[in-house]
Amino acid sequence: MVEDTPLDPASSAALIAEQRAKVEAATDVDGRILFGAWGVAWLLGFGLLWLVNSGRLTMPDEAAFLAFTALLVLAGALTTWHLAVKGTGVRGASARQGAMYGWAWFLSFGVVFALGVALDRAGATGEVMNLAMTVASLLVVGALYMAGGAIWEERIQWALGAWICVSTIAAALVGSPQMYLVMCIAGGGGMLVAAGVEAARRRRPRVL
Amino acid sequence: MGEDALDPVIHTQARLRIMTTLTALPDGDRLTFTKLQFLLDASAGNLSTHLRRLEDAGYVQVVKGHQGRIPSTQVGATRTGRRAFEDYVAQLRILLTPPTDPTETQEER
Repeated sequence: MVEDTPLDPASSAALIAEQRAKVEAATDVDGRILFGAWGVAWLLGFGLLWLVNSGRLTMPDEAAFLAFTALLVLAGALTTWHLAVKGTGVRGASARQGAMYGWAWFLSFGVVFALGVALDRAGATGEVMNLAMTVASLLVVGALYMAGGAIWEERIQWALGAWICVSTIAAALVGSPQMYLVMCIAGGGGMLVAAGVEAARRRRPRVL
Repeated sequence: MGEDALDPVIHTQARLRIMTTLTALPDGDRLTFTKLQFLLDASAGNLSTHLRRLEDAGYVQVVKGHQGRIPSTQVGATRTGRRAFEDYVAQLRILLTPPTDPTETQEER
């Protein structure tokens, strides 16, 4: 930090713009990365489930499910890492808000997991389990994206959540195995579109 | 009305960068001293000096706390500081807008 080089209005304005960009780069959660990672994971994961469940690809069910889970875990790890990096050194209101929102995700998926255990104990068939777990997980994702969009007034995130809910309604109505194709194209595709919209928004120059 | 209308507490490179950084965060957010130092690429001593000046003016609040057992200082812009920064930016905008008509002098503003 250079001390007290004389400032004129133009260099003040330039300094503000430069510093704002630096702070934003260091603290702003990047929708391109998060939506992009989940979009790719859904596109490949649901795509694989569709190929296997519709008999287009011969592969043990367990292996396909394992690959699907691995893709989601990868996207989840990338999300966690990204949020941790961006949140380092930031304290106060938004850190508390973020933590509460993070717990909402964690506990909601705890409920989905418990639903799976309960259905299994009650003697649900594999088909019922697949349907219920897919739809319940997507419900959580869609609802929490909409909630996140409302909390942070981020239209893209809200619209993505609404789109995931609509896609999930369609997926539930067509049932297995076509629901996987719906979530591959509409869900994964929707995420990638959101990442693209976010990228376009960021290219718009900001004024002083 | 000229450059002397710009708040002297903010109008230095070092403090303008501090205020820009802290006001870029949502209201109610603070940065750890370490993070602020990293974002400004400043030495601890230099940063402390300027923070004291801003704290005296009521523009920033320095909270000394603990992160577990490690002492951790956090810095945030106050309401007064945010308002002062907004005024500073508004003043800059006026100074950077070229007068449209030479007969239309500053009294217009």
